[in-house]
Amino acid sequence: MTRYLRLIRIFTGATLSAQLEYRANFFGAVLASLGEVGVALLGIAVLFGQPGTAAVGGWSFHQALLVVGLFMLTEGFISVFVQPNLTKIAEAVRTGSMDFTLLKPIDAQFGVSTRYLNMLRVTDLLIGAGLTVSAASHLPVTPGGVLTAALLYLSALVMVYCIWLALSTTAFWFVKTQNVSELFSGVFGAARFPVTAFPVPVRAFLTFVVPIAFITTVPAQALTGTLSPALAVASPLVAAALFGLTRLFWLKAVASYTSASS
Amino acid sequence: MTTRTPDASVHVRDLRKHYVVHEKEPGFLGSLRSFVNRKSRDVEAVRGVSFDLQPGEVVGFLGPNGAGKTTTLKMLSGLLHPSGGEARVAGFEPRRREADFLRRITLVMGQKQQLLWDLPALDSFLVNQAIYEISDAQYHATMREFTEVLGLAGILKKQVRKLSLGERMKCELAAALLHRPQVLFLDEPTIGLDVNMQESVRAFIRDYNERYGATVILTSHYMADVTALARRILVIDAGQLVFDGDLAHLAGRGSGGKRVRLQLRQSVSEAHLARYGSDVKVDGLSAELTVPRAEVSARAARLLADLDVADLTVEDPPIETVMAELFGGREAERV
Repeated sequence: MTRYLRLIRIFTGATLSAQLEYRANFFGAVLASLGEVGVALLGIAVLFGQPGTAAVGGWSFHQALLVVGLFMLTEGFISVFVQPNLTKIAEAVRTGSMDFTLLKPIDAQFGVSTRYLNMLRVTDLLIGAGLTVSAASHLPVTPGGVLTAALLYLSALVMVYCIWLALSTTAFWFVKTQNVSELFSGVFGAARFPVTAFPVPVRAFLTFVVPIAFITTVPAQALTGTLSPALAVASPLVAAALFGLTRLFWLKAVASYTSASS
Repeated sequence: MTTRTPDASVHVRDLRKHYVVHEKEPGFLGSLRSFVNRKSRDVEAVRGVSFDLQPGEVVGFLGPNGAGKTTTLKMLSGLLHPSGGEARVAGFEPRRREADFLRRITLVMGQKQQLLWDLPALDSFLVNQAIYEISDAQYHATMREFTEVLGLAGILKKQVRKLSLGERMKCELAAALLHRPQVLFLDEPTIGLDVNMQESVRAFIRDYNERYGATVILTSHYMADVTALARRILVIDAGQLVFDGDLAHLAGRGSGGKRVRLQLRQSVSEAHLARYGSDVKVDGLSAELTVPRAEVSARAARLLADLDVADLTVEDPPIETVMAELFGGREAERV
Protein backbone atom coordinates (compact mmCIF):
# COMPACT_ATOMS: atom_id res chain seq x y z
CA MET A 1 0.00 0.00 0.00
CA THR A 2 2.75 2.46 0.97
CA ARG A 3 4.49 1.42 -2.23
CA TYR A 4 1.47 2.45 -4.27
CA LEU A 5 1.25 5.78 -2.43
CA ARG A 6 4.92 6.35 -3.15
CA LEU A 7 4.29 5.57 -6.82
CA ILE A 8 1.44 8.08 -6.94
CA ARG A 9 3.81 10.69 -5.52
CA ILE A 10 6.45 9.92 -8.15
CA PHE A 11 3.93 9.84 -11.01
CA THR A 12 2.53 13.17 -9.81
CA GLY A 13 6.00 14.69 -9.69
CA ALA A 14 6.80 13.53 -13.23
CA THR A 15 3.51 14.68 -14.71
CA LEU A 16 3.73 18.07 -12.97
CA SER A 17 7.22 18.70 -14.34
CA ALA A 18 5.98 17.76 -17.80
CA GLN A 19 3.10 20.23 -17.54
CA LEU A 20 5.32 23.05 -16.33
CA GLU A 21 7.07 22.76 -19.68
CA TYR A 22 4.02 24.25 -21.35
CA ARG A 23 3.01 27.39 -19.47
CA ALA A 24 0.67 29.00 -21.96
CA ASN A 25 -1.65 26.04 -21.63
CA PHE A 26 -2.44 27.06 -18.07
CA PHE A 27 -4.31 30.24 -18.97
CA GLY A 28 -6.44 28.45 -21.51
CA ALA A 29 -7.36 25.91 -18.87
CA VAL A 30 -8.42 28.59 -16.36
CA LEU A 31 -10.65 30.19 -19.01
CA ALA A 32 -12.20 26.79 -19.75
CA SER A 33 -13.03 26.30 -16.06
CA LEU A 34 -14.65 29.72 -15.81
CA GLY A 35 -16.67 29.04 -18.94
CA GLU A 36 -17.85 25.75 -17.53
CA VAL A 37 -19.05 27.23 -14.26
CA GLY A 38 -20.66 30.14 -16.13
CA VAL A 39 -22.79 27.78 -18.20
CA ALA A 40 -23.81 25.78 -15.14
CA LEU A 41 -24.81 28.91 -13.20
CA LEU A 42 -26.66 30.30 -16.21
CA GLY A 43 -28.78 27.15 -16.22
CA ILE A 44 -30.15 27.71 -12.75
CA ALA A 45 -30.25 31.49 -13.21
CA VAL A 46 -32.74 30.97 -16.04
CA LEU A 47 -34.91 28.73 -13.88
CA PHE A 48 -34.88 30.80 -10.71
CA GLY A 49 -34.71 34.16 -12.46
CA GLN A 50 -38.45 33.98 -13.29
CA PRO A 51 -40.35 36.34 -10.98
CA GLY A 52 -42.06 34.48 -8.14
CA THR A 53 -40.08 31.25 -8.59
CA ALA A 54 -38.90 30.13 -5.15
CA ALA A 55 -38.50 26.44 -5.92
CA VAL A 56 -38.16 24.19 -8.97
CA GLY A 57 -39.31 20.59 -8.60
CA GLY A 58 -39.15 21.01 -4.84
CA TRP A 59 -35.61 22.42 -4.88
CA SER A 60 -34.89 25.89 -3.51
CA PHE A 61 -32.31 28.13 -5.13
CA HIS A 62 -29.55 27.22 -2.69
CA GLN A 63 -30.35 23.51 -2.89
CA ALA A 64 -30.07 23.72 -6.67
CA LEU A 65 -26.85 25.68 -6.27
CA LEU A 66 -25.54 22.86 -4.11
CA VAL A 67 -26.13 20.45 -6.97
CA VAL A 68 -24.27 22.77 -9.34
CA GLY A 69 -21.40 22.93 -6.86
CA LEU A 70 -21.17 19.15 -6.66
CA PHE A 71 -21.44 18.97 -10.44
CA MET A 72 -18.46 21.33 -10.83
CA LEU A 73 -16.53 19.41 -8.20
CA THR A 74 -17.15 16.18 -10.11
CA GLU A 75 -16.20 17.87 -13.38
CA GLY A 76 -12.98 18.91 -11.69
CA PHE A 77 -12.38 15.38 -10.43
CA ILE A 78 -12.87 14.05 -13.95
CA SER A 79 -10.67 16.67 -15.62
CA VAL A 80 -7.86 16.45 -13.07
CA PHE A 81 -7.73 12.76 -12.22
CA VAL A 82 -9.85 10.59 -14.51
CA GLN A 83 -9.76 11.98 -18.04
CA PRO A 84 -6.00 12.56 -18.39
CA ASN A 85 -5.38 8.92 -17.56
CA LEU A 86 -8.23 7.01 -19.07
CA THR A 87 -8.37 8.79 -22.43
CA LYS A 88 -4.77 7.63 -22.90
CA ILE A 89 -5.85 3.99 -22.83
CA ALA A 90 -7.17 4.14 -26.39
CA GLU A 91 -4.02 5.85 -27.63
CA ALA A 92 -1.82 3.37 -25.78
CA VAL A 93 -3.68 0.45 -27.34
CA ARG A 94 -3.51 1.98 -30.80
CA THR A 95 0.21 2.77 -30.68
CA GLY A 96 1.13 -0.32 -28.67
CA SER A 97 2.64 1.63 -25.76
CA MET A 98 0.22 -0.28 -23.55
CA ASP A 99 2.91 -2.96 -23.81
CA PHE A 100 5.10 -1.05 -21.38
CA THR A 101 2.31 -0.65 -18.85
CA LEU A 102 1.57 -4.36 -18.95
CA LEU A 103 5.27 -5.23 -18.60
CA LYS A 104 5.64 -3.40 -15.31
CA PRO A 105 5.40 -5.32 -12.03
CA ILE A 106 2.58 -3.15 -10.72
CA ASP A 107 -1.14 -3.62 -11.18
CA ALA A 108 -1.85 -2.44 -14.72
CA GLN A 109 -5.22 -0.92 -13.82
CA PHE A 110 -3.51 1.10 -11.10
CA GLY A 111 -0.87 2.10 -13.64
CA VAL A 112 -3.29 3.38 -16.27
CA SER A 113 -5.46 5.11 -13.66
CA THR A 114 -2.86 7.07 -11.73
CA ARG A 115 -0.10 7.80 -14.19
CA TYR A 116 -1.10 11.36 -15.08
CA LEU A 117 -2.76 14.40 -13.54
CA ASN A 118 -4.05 17.48 -15.24
CA MET A 119 -3.16 20.12 -12.69
CA LEU A 120 -4.29 22.79 -15.12
CA ARG A 121 -7.91 22.03 -14.29
CA VAL A 122 -7.47 22.23 -10.53
CA THR A 123 -9.44 25.48 -10.68
CA ASP A 124 -12.54 23.38 -11.47
CA LEU A 125 -12.08 21.62 -8.16
CA LEU A 126 -11.64 24.90 -6.30
CA ILE A 127 -14.69 26.52 -7.90
CA GLY A 128 -16.77 23.39 -7.24
CA ALA A 129 -15.72 23.22 -3.60
CA GLY A 130 -16.36 26.96 -3.15
CA LEU A 131 -19.85 26.76 -4.67
CA THR A 132 -20.74 23.68 -2.61
CA VAL A 133 -19.63 25.26 0.67
CA SER A 134 -21.27 28.62 0.02
CA ALA A 135 -24.56 26.99 -1.04
CA ALA A 136 -24.48 24.73 2.03
CA SER A 137 -23.91 27.70 4.32
CA HIS A 138 -27.35 29.02 3.35
CA LEU A 139 -28.99 25.71 4.21
CA PRO A 140 -29.69 24.05 7.56
CA VAL A 141 -27.10 21.25 7.57
CA THR A 142 -26.27 18.89 10.44
CA PRO A 143 -22.84 17.26 11.08
CA GLY A 144 -24.47 13.88 10.41
CA GLY A 145 -25.75 15.20 7.09
CA VAL A 146 -22.26 16.38 6.13
CA LEU A 147 -20.73 13.03 7.00
CA THR A 148 -23.36 11.05 5.08
CA ALA A 149 -23.04 13.40 2.12
CA ALA A 150 -19.26 12.99 2.13
CA LEU A 151 -19.53 9.20 2.15
CA LEU A 152 -22.15 9.19 -0.58
CA TYR A 153 -20.10 11.59 -2.65
CA LEU A 154 -17.14 9.26 -2.31
CA SER A 155 -19.31 6.44 -3.69
CA ALA A 156 -20.27 8.84 -6.47
CA LEU A 157 -16.63 9.40 -7.41
CA VAL A 158 -16.04 5.66 -7.47
CA MET A 159 -18.99 5.30 -9.87
CA VAL A 160 -17.71 8.07 -12.12
CA TYR A 161 -14.30 6.40 -12.26
CA CYS A 162 -15.83 2.99 -12.98
CA ILE A 163 -18.07 4.21 -15.78
CA TRP A 164 -15.15 6.05 -17.36
CA LEU A 165 -12.89 3.06 -17.03
CA ALA A 166 -15.47 0.68 -18.48
CA LEU A 167 -16.04 2.98 -21.46
CA SER A 168 -12.31 3.50 -22.00
CA THR A 169 -11.54 -0.19 -21.68
CA THR A 170 -13.62 -0.90 -24.78
CA ALA A 171 -10.59 0.53 -26.60
CA PHE A 172 -8.96 -2.89 -26.30
CA TRP A 173 -11.47 -4.10 -28.87
CA PHE A 174 -12.56 -0.97 -30.72
CA VAL A 175 -9.23 0.89 -30.54
CA LYS A 176 -10.65 4.36 -31.19
CA THR A 177 -13.09 5.41 -28.52
CA GLN A 178 -13.16 9.22 -28.29
CA ASN A 179 -16.88 9.16 -29.07
CA VAL A 180 -17.46 6.92 -26.11
CA SER A 181 -16.10 9.52 -23.70
CA GLU A 182 -18.14 12.18 -25.51
CA LEU A 183 -21.15 10.02 -24.75
CA PHE A 184 -20.29 10.10 -21.07
CA SER A 185 -19.86 13.87 -21.02
CA GLY A 186 -23.17 14.31 -22.82
CA VAL A 187 -25.16 12.23 -20.38
CA PHE A 188 -23.22 13.55 -17.39
CA GLY A 189 -24.31 17.09 -18.29
CA ALA A 190 -27.71 16.17 -16.81
CA ALA A 191 -26.05 15.95 -13.39
CA ARG A 192 -25.96 19.74 -13.10
CA PHE A 193 -29.69 19.68 -12.38
CA PRO A 194 -31.34 17.91 -9.44
CA VAL A 195 -32.59 14.63 -10.86
CA THR A 196 -35.85 14.85 -8.93
CA ALA A 197 -36.66 17.99 -10.89
CA PHE A 198 -37.00 15.91 -14.05
CA PRO A 199 -40.19 14.10 -15.12
CA VAL A 200 -40.53 10.62 -13.59
CA PRO A 201 -39.41 8.54 -16.62
CA VAL A 202 -36.27 10.65 -17.06
CA ARG A 203 -35.64 10.42 -13.34
CA ALA A 204 -35.87 6.62 -13.45
CA PHE A 205 -33.51 6.52 -16.44
CA LEU A 206 -30.96 8.72 -14.70
CA THR A 207 -31.12 6.63 -11.54
CA PHE A 208 -31.29 3.06 -12.74
CA VAL A 209 -29.91 3.03 -16.25
CA VAL A 210 -27.11 5.56 -15.92
CA PRO A 211 -26.53 6.27 -12.23
CA ILE A 212 -26.33 10.05 -12.68
CA ALA A 213 -28.67 10.63 -9.73
CA PHE A 214 -26.16 9.13 -7.33
CA ILE A 215 -23.43 11.51 -8.39
CA THR A 216 -24.83 14.93 -7.50
CA THR A 217 -28.48 14.69 -6.43
CA VAL A 218 -28.09 12.00 -3.77
CA PRO A 219 -25.18 13.65 -1.87
CA ALA A 220 -27.02 16.99 -2.06
CA GLN A 221 -30.14 15.39 -0.63
CA ALA A 222 -28.08 13.83 2.15
CA LEU A 223 -26.69 17.25 3.01
CA THR A 224 -30.12 18.84 3.18
CA GLY A 225 -31.64 15.89 5.04
CA THR A 226 -34.16 15.03 2.32
CA LEU A 227 -32.63 11.71 1.23
CA SER A 228 -34.63 8.49 1.36
CA PRO A 229 -32.81 5.76 3.35
CA ALA A 230 -33.14 3.34 0.42
CA LEU A 231 -31.05 5.56 -1.87
CA ALA A 232 -28.52 6.15 0.91
CA VAL A 233 -27.93 2.42 1.18
CA ALA A 234 -28.09 1.84 -2.56
CA SER A 235 -25.34 4.31 -3.45
CA PRO A 236 -22.34 2.52 -1.85
CA LEU A 237 -23.71 -0.83 -3.02
CA VAL A 238 -23.98 0.36 -6.60
CA ALA A 239 -20.45 1.78 -6.34
CA ALA A 240 -19.00 -1.47 -5.01
CA ALA A 241 -20.83 -3.55 -7.62
CA LEU A 242 -19.65 -1.26 -10.42
CA PHE A 243 -16.09 -1.43 -9.14
CA GLY A 244 -16.15 -5.21 -9.12
CA LEU A 245 -17.68 -5.44 -12.57
CA THR A 246 -15.28 -2.96 -14.17
CA ARG A 247 -12.36 -4.81 -12.59
CA LEU A 248 -13.52 -8.04 -14.25
CA PHE A 249 -14.10 -6.20 -17.51
CA TRP A 250 -10.59 -4.72 -17.34
CA LEU A 251 -8.99 -8.13 -16.71
CA LYS A 252 -10.91 -9.59 -19.62
CA ALA A 253 -9.77 -6.76 -21.87
CA VAL A 254 -6.12 -7.23 -20.90
CA ALA A 255 -6.40 -10.95 -21.59
CA SER A 256 -7.60 -10.28 -25.11
CA TYR A 257 -5.00 -7.57 -25.75
CA THR A 258 -3.44 -8.07 -29.15
CA SER A 259 -0.74 -5.39 -29.01
CA ALA A 260 -0.08 -3.17 -32.02
CA SER A 261 2.48 -4.51 -34.46
CA SER A 262 6.13 -4.05 -33.56
CA MET B 1 22.77 -15.12 0.63
CA THR B 2 19.67 -16.49 -0.96
CA THR B 3 19.60 -20.22 -1.45
CA ARG B 4 17.47 -19.95 -4.52
CA THR B 5 19.58 -19.87 -7.65
CA PRO B 6 18.15 -17.54 -10.22
CA ASP B 7 16.64 -19.60 -12.98
CA ALA B 8 16.93 -17.71 -16.22
CA SER B 9 15.94 -20.60 -18.46
CA VAL B 10 13.25 -20.49 -21.13
CA HIS B 11 11.13 -23.49 -22.09
CA VAL B 12 8.65 -23.37 -24.93
CA ARG B 13 6.43 -26.25 -26.02
CA ASP B 14 4.13 -26.18 -29.04
CA LEU B 15 3.38 -22.48 -28.58
CA ARG B 16 0.56 -21.15 -30.75
CA LYS B 17 -1.15 -17.85 -31.41
CA HIS B 18 -4.14 -17.11 -33.61
CA TYR B 19 -5.43 -13.65 -34.38
CA VAL B 20 -8.64 -12.50 -35.89
CA VAL B 21 -7.89 -9.77 -38.38
CA HIS B 22 -10.30 -7.53 -40.23
CA GLU B 23 -9.95 -7.16 -43.92
CA LYS B 24 -10.78 -4.05 -45.82
CA GLU B 25 -10.65 -3.29 -49.50
CA PRO B 26 -8.80 -0.10 -50.38
CA GLY B 27 -10.61 3.18 -50.91
CA PHE B 28 -13.61 4.84 -49.38
CA LEU B 29 -16.15 2.36 -50.75
CA GLY B 30 -14.11 -0.46 -49.30
CA SER B 31 -14.08 1.30 -45.94
CA LEU B 32 -17.84 1.83 -46.08
CA ARG B 33 -18.43 -1.81 -46.96
CA SER B 34 -16.13 -2.88 -44.15
CA PHE B 35 -17.88 -0.56 -41.68
CA VAL B 36 -21.26 -2.14 -42.43
CA ASN B 37 -20.14 -5.70 -42.88
CA ARG B 38 -16.78 -6.55 -41.42
CA LYS B 39 -14.97 -9.49 -42.93
CA SER B 40 -12.64 -11.20 -40.56
CA ARG B 41 -10.12 -13.92 -41.08
CA ASP B 42 -8.25 -16.11 -38.64
CA VAL B 43 -4.49 -15.74 -38.93
CA GLU B 44 -2.15 -18.25 -37.37
CA ALA B 45 0.85 -16.14 -36.43
CA VAL B 46 2.67 -18.83 -34.45
CA ARG B 47 2.00 -22.49 -35.21
CA GLY B 48 3.55 -24.80 -32.66
CA VAL B 49 6.99 -23.49 -31.72
CA SER B 50 9.19 -25.45 -29.26
CA PHE B 51 12.67 -24.72 -27.90
CA ASP B 52 14.66 -24.58 -24.66
CA LEU B 53 17.23 -22.01 -23.62
CA GLN B 54 19.82 -22.51 -20.92
CA PRO B 55 20.46 -19.70 -18.43
CA GLY B 56 22.97 -17.25 -19.87
CA GLU B 57 22.48 -18.34 -23.45
CA VAL B 58 22.31 -15.74 -26.22
CA VAL B 59 20.24 -16.74 -29.24
CA GLY B 60 19.46 -14.96 -32.44
CA PHE B 61 15.86 -15.21 -33.54
CA LEU B 62 15.59 -14.83 -37.30
CA GLY B 63 12.89 -14.96 -39.87
CA PRO B 64 11.23 -12.82 -42.54
CA ASN B 65 8.80 -10.06 -41.63
CA GLY B 66 5.57 -11.46 -40.30
CA ALA B 67 7.12 -14.85 -39.52
CA GLY B 68 6.00 -14.67 -35.89
CA LYS B 69 9.16 -13.45 -34.13
CA THR B 70 7.58 -10.50 -32.34
CA THR B 71 4.42 -12.44 -31.53
CA THR B 72 6.55 -15.15 -29.91
CA LEU B 73 8.52 -12.61 -27.87
CA LYS B 74 5.30 -10.95 -26.76
CA MET B 75 3.89 -14.27 -25.60
CA LEU B 76 7.12 -15.04 -23.72
CA SER B 77 6.99 -11.69 -21.97
CA GLY B 78 3.35 -12.14 -20.99
CA LEU B 79 1.85 -9.42 -23.20
CA LEU B 80 -0.13 -11.82 -25.35
CA HIS B 81 -1.97 -14.86 -24.13
CA PRO B 82 -1.02 -17.92 -26.21
CA SER B 83 -3.86 -19.69 -28.05
CA GLY B 84 -2.19 -23.00 -27.26
CA GLY B 85 0.94 -24.66 -25.98
CA GLU B 86 3.10 -23.86 -23.00
CA ALA B 87 5.80 -21.40 -22.09
CA ARG B 88 7.92 -21.19 -18.95
CA VAL B 89 10.29 -18.29 -18.52
CA ALA B 90 12.51 -18.02 -15.41
CA GLY B 91 10.27 -20.60 -13.79
CA PHE B 92 7.05 -18.63 -14.39
CA GLU B 93 4.13 -18.92 -16.72
CA PRO B 94 4.33 -15.60 -18.62
CA ARG B 95 0.60 -15.13 -19.27
CA ARG B 96 -0.08 -14.80 -15.54
CA ARG B 97 2.13 -11.71 -15.47
CA GLU B 98 3.06 -12.12 -11.82
CA ALA B 99 5.04 -9.23 -10.38
CA ASP B 100 7.99 -11.52 -9.57
CA PHE B 101 8.06 -12.68 -13.18
CA LEU B 102 7.91 -9.16 -14.60
CA ARG B 103 10.81 -8.12 -12.36
CA ARG B 104 12.98 -10.81 -13.94
CA ILE B 105 12.39 -10.01 -17.59
CA THR B 106 12.46 -7.13 -19.97
CA LEU B 107 11.23 -6.58 -23.50
CA VAL B 108 12.98 -3.97 -25.60
CA MET B 109 11.22 -2.95 -28.77
CA GLY B 110 13.34 -0.92 -31.13
CA GLN B 111 10.28 0.71 -32.63
CA LYS B 112 8.45 1.67 -29.45
CA GLN B 113 9.46 3.86 -26.58
CA GLN B 114 8.64 3.98 -22.94
CA LEU B 115 10.57 7.13 -22.01
CA LEU B 116 8.48 10.16 -21.10
CA TRP B 117 8.63 12.36 -24.16
CA ASP B 118 8.62 15.80 -22.52
CA LEU B 119 11.06 15.02 -19.73
CA PRO B 120 14.74 14.11 -19.48
CA ALA B 121 15.45 10.37 -19.50
CA LEU B 122 16.56 10.63 -15.88
CA ASP B 123 12.94 11.28 -14.84
CA SER B 124 11.81 8.09 -16.57
CA PHE B 125 14.57 6.18 -14.81
CA LEU B 126 13.35 7.46 -11.44
CA VAL B 127 9.80 6.33 -12.25
CA ASN B 128 11.15 2.89 -13.13
CA GLN B 129 13.24 2.83 -9.97
CA ALA B 130 10.05 3.32 -7.96
CA ILE B 131 8.05 0.80 -10.00
CA TYR B 132 10.68 -1.92 -9.70
CA GLU B 133 11.52 -0.95 -6.10
CA ILE B 134 15.22 -0.64 -6.84
CA SER B 135 17.24 0.42 -3.81
CA ASP B 136 19.16 3.70 -4.12
CA ALA B 137 22.46 1.85 -3.80
CA GLN B 138 21.66 -0.58 -6.63
CA TYR B 139 20.18 2.21 -8.75
CA HIS B 140 23.35 4.30 -8.50
CA ALA B 141 25.62 1.32 -9.11
CA THR B 142 23.63 0.30 -12.21
CA MET B 143 23.49 3.85 -13.52
CA ARG B 144 27.25 4.26 -13.11
CA GLU B 145 27.85 1.06 -15.02
CA PHE B 146 25.36 1.85 -17.82
CA THR B 147 26.63 5.41 -18.14
CA GLU B 148 30.11 4.06 -18.71
CA VAL B 149 29.27 1.22 -21.12
CA LEU B 150 26.64 3.09 -23.13
CA GLY B 151 28.24 6.51 -22.94
CA LEU B 152 25.20 8.19 -21.42
CA ALA B 153 27.04 11.07 -19.77
CA GLY B 154 25.64 14.37 -20.95
CA ILE B 155 22.42 13.05 -22.50
CA LEU B 156 20.53 12.00 -19.37
CA LYS B 157 19.42 15.52 -18.52
CA LYS B 158 18.23 16.47 -22.00
CA GLN B 159 14.55 16.23 -22.82
CA VAL B 160 13.88 12.95 -24.57
CA ARG B 161 12.22 14.64 -27.54
CA LYS B 162 15.48 16.52 -28.17
CA LEU B 163 17.64 13.39 -28.30
CA SER B 164 18.83 11.78 -31.51
CA LEU B 165 17.46 8.34 -32.39
CA GLY B 166 20.68 6.66 -31.27
CA GLU B 167 20.82 8.56 -27.97
CA ARG B 168 17.19 7.73 -27.32
CA MET B 169 17.74 4.04 -28.02
CA LYS B 170 20.61 3.95 -25.53
CA CYS B 171 18.37 5.54 -22.90
CA GLU B 172 15.58 3.10 -23.78
CA LEU B 173 17.95 0.20 -23.21
CA ALA B 174 19.11 1.63 -19.90
CA ALA B 175 15.49 2.16 -18.79
CA ALA B 176 14.56 -1.38 -19.78
CA LEU B 177 17.52 -2.97 -17.98
CA LEU B 178 17.62 -0.77 -14.88
CA HIS B 179 16.07 -3.51 -12.77
CA ARG B 180 18.75 -5.99 -13.91
CA PRO B 181 16.44 -8.54 -15.51
CA GLN B 182 17.69 -12.09 -16.01
CA VAL B 183 15.86 -12.75 -19.25
CA LEU B 184 16.07 -10.20 -22.07
CA PHE B 185 13.77 -10.16 -25.06
CA LEU B 186 15.27 -7.75 -27.56
CA ASP B 187 13.14 -7.03 -30.60
CA GLU B 188 15.15 -5.12 -33.19
CA PRO B 189 17.19 -3.18 -30.63
CA THR B 190 19.40 -1.61 -33.29
CA ILE B 191 16.85 -0.74 -35.94
CA GLY B 192 17.55 2.53 -37.70
CA LEU B 193 20.86 3.12 -35.92
CA ASP B 194 24.11 3.94 -37.68
CA VAL B 195 26.95 1.44 -37.65
CA ASN B 196 28.81 2.97 -34.69
CA MET B 197 25.68 3.14 -32.61
CA GLN B 198 24.80 -0.45 -33.52
CA GLU B 199 28.25 -1.51 -32.37
CA SER B 200 27.91 0.24 -29.01
CA VAL B 201 24.47 -1.32 -28.45
CA ARG B 202 25.96 -4.75 -29.23
CA ALA B 203 28.86 -4.15 -26.87
CA PHE B 204 26.41 -3.19 -24.16
CA ILE B 205 24.31 -6.33 -24.63
CA ARG B 206 27.42 -8.53 -24.63
CA ASP B 207 28.71 -6.83 -21.50
CA TYR B 208 25.37 -7.20 -19.72
CA ASN B 209 25.13 -10.88 -20.67
CA GLU B 210 28.63 -11.58 -19.34
CA ARG B 211 28.24 -9.54 -16.18
CA TYR B 212 24.86 -10.90 -15.08
CA GLY B 213 24.66 -14.22 -16.88
CA ALA B 214 21.37 -13.11 -18.41
CA THR B 215 19.58 -15.13 -21.07
CA VAL B 216 19.06 -13.12 -24.25
CA ILE B 217 16.78 -13.62 -27.22
CA LEU B 218 17.51 -11.17 -29.98
CA THR B 219 15.73 -10.45 -33.22
CA SER B 220 17.33 -8.20 -35.76
CA HIS B 221 17.29 -7.16 -39.36
CA TYR B 222 21.03 -6.74 -39.19
CA MET B 223 22.91 -9.98 -39.65
CA ALA B 224 25.91 -8.42 -37.93
CA ASP B 225 23.95 -8.14 -34.66
CA VAL B 226 23.25 -11.81 -34.68
CA THR B 227 26.67 -13.02 -35.77
CA ALA B 228 28.35 -10.73 -33.21
CA LEU B 229 26.24 -11.80 -30.25
CA ALA B 230 24.66 -15.19 -30.74
CA ARG B 231 26.18 -18.62 -31.21
CA ARG B 232 22.82 -20.32 -31.48
CA ILE B 233 20.21 -19.37 -34.02
CA LEU B 234 16.49 -20.02 -34.16
CA VAL B 235 14.87 -19.49 -37.52
CA ILE B 236 11.12 -19.08 -37.74
CA ASP B 237 9.14 -19.01 -40.94
CA ALA B 238 5.37 -18.78 -41.35
CA GLY B 239 4.93 -19.39 -37.64
CA GLN B 240 7.05 -22.52 -37.45
CA LEU B 241 10.59 -23.15 -36.32
CA VAL B 242 12.59 -24.27 -39.36
CA PHE B 243 16.06 -24.24 -37.82
CA ASP B 244 17.53 -24.47 -34.33
CA GLY B 245 21.29 -24.82 -34.00
CA ASP B 246 24.72 -23.28 -34.30
CA LEU B 247 25.33 -20.31 -36.48
CA ALA B 248 27.98 -22.40 -38.27
CA HIS B 249 25.48 -25.15 -39.03
CA LEU B 250 23.01 -22.68 -40.41
CA ALA B 251 25.69 -21.40 -42.74
CA GLY B 252 26.30 -24.97 -43.90
CA ARG B 253 22.66 -25.72 -44.42
CA GLY B 254 22.20 -23.99 -47.72
CA SER B 255 21.77 -26.50 -50.52
CA GLY B 256 24.42 -24.67 -52.53
CA GLY B 257 27.27 -26.00 -50.43
CA LYS B 258 30.52 -24.06 -50.12
CA ARG B 259 31.83 -21.20 -52.12
CA VAL B 260 35.27 -21.62 -53.68
CA ARG B 261 37.22 -18.50 -54.61
CA LEU B 262 40.09 -18.76 -57.08
CA GLN B 263 42.90 -16.44 -58.00
CA LEU B 264 44.22 -17.64 -61.39
CA ARG B 265 47.42 -16.99 -63.31
CA GLN B 266 45.78 -17.61 -66.69
CA SER B 267 42.24 -16.69 -67.60
CA VAL B 268 39.77 -19.53 -67.90
CA SER B 269 36.34 -19.41 -69.51
CA GLU B 270 33.13 -19.67 -67.49
CA ALA B 271 32.08 -22.70 -69.51
CA HIS B 272 35.29 -24.46 -68.60
CA LEU B 273 34.89 -23.75 -64.88
CA ALA B 274 31.26 -24.93 -64.98
CA ARG B 275 32.64 -28.49 -65.12
CA TYR B 276 33.88 -28.09 -61.54
CA GLY B 277 30.88 -26.43 -59.90
CA SER B 278 27.75 -24.31 -60.27
CA ASP B 279 26.97 -20.61 -60.10
CA VAL B 280 30.24 -19.62 -61.72
CA LYS B 281 31.42 -16.02 -61.80
CA VAL B 282 34.54 -14.91 -63.59
CA ASP B 283 36.07 -11.45 -63.33
CA GLY B 284 39.43 -11.29 -65.08
CA LEU B 285 41.74 -13.58 -63.16
CA SER B 286 39.36 -13.89 -60.19
CA ALA B 287 36.66 -16.51 -60.23
CA GLU B 288 34.24 -18.06 -57.82
CA LEU B 289 31.99 -21.08 -57.93
CA THR B 290 29.87 -23.19 -55.62
CA VAL B 291 30.66 -26.85 -55.00
CA PRO B 292 28.68 -29.48 -53.09
CA ARG B 293 29.68 -29.61 -49.44
CA ALA B 294 30.65 -33.29 -49.48
CA GLU B 295 32.98 -32.91 -52.46
CA VAL B 296 34.83 -29.78 -51.47
CA SER B 297 38.27 -31.38 -51.05
CA ALA B 298 38.00 -33.58 -54.14
CA ARG B 299 36.93 -30.69 -56.37
CA ALA B 300 39.53 -28.35 -54.90
CA ALA B 301 42.25 -30.93 -55.61
CA ARG B 302 41.08 -31.27 -59.22
CA LEU B 303 41.00 -27.47 -59.66
CA LEU B 304 44.55 -27.19 -58.33
CA ALA B 305 45.74 -30.03 -60.55
CA ASP B 306 43.98 -28.95 -63.77
CA LEU B 307 44.40 -25.18 -63.65
CA ASP B 308 47.15 -22.71 -62.95
CA VAL B 309 45.87 -21.51 -59.56
CA ALA B 310 47.64 -18.82 -57.54
CA ASP B 311 45.31 -18.97 -54.57
CA LEU B 312 42.25 -20.94 -53.53
CA THR B 313 39.94 -20.30 -50.57
CA VAL B 314 36.85 -22.13 -49.42
CA GLU B 315 34.20 -20.40 -47.35
CA ASP B 316 30.64 -20.73 -46.14
CA PRO B 317 28.16 -18.66 -48.09
CA PRO B 318 27.11 -15.42 -46.37
CA ILE B 319 24.28 -15.99 -43.91
CA GLU B 320 22.03 -13.73 -45.98
CA THR B 321 22.30 -16.17 -48.89
CA VAL B 322 21.41 -19.12 -46.68
CA MET B 323 18.43 -17.29 -45.27
CA ALA B 324 17.29 -16.34 -48.74
CA GLU B 325 17.46 -20.01 -49.73
CA LEU B 326 15.62 -21.10 -46.61
CA PHE B 327 12.82 -18.71 -47.37
CA GLY B 328 12.73 -19.34 -51.09
CA GLY B 329 14.02 -15.92 -52.01
CA ARG B 330 11.45 -13.97 -50.02
CA GLU B 331 12.80 -11.02 -48.08
CA ALA B 332 16.23 -12.04 -49.32
CA GLU B 333 18.10 -8.97 -48.08
CA ARG B 334 16.13 -8.37 -44.95
CA VAL B 335 16.21 -11.45 -42.83
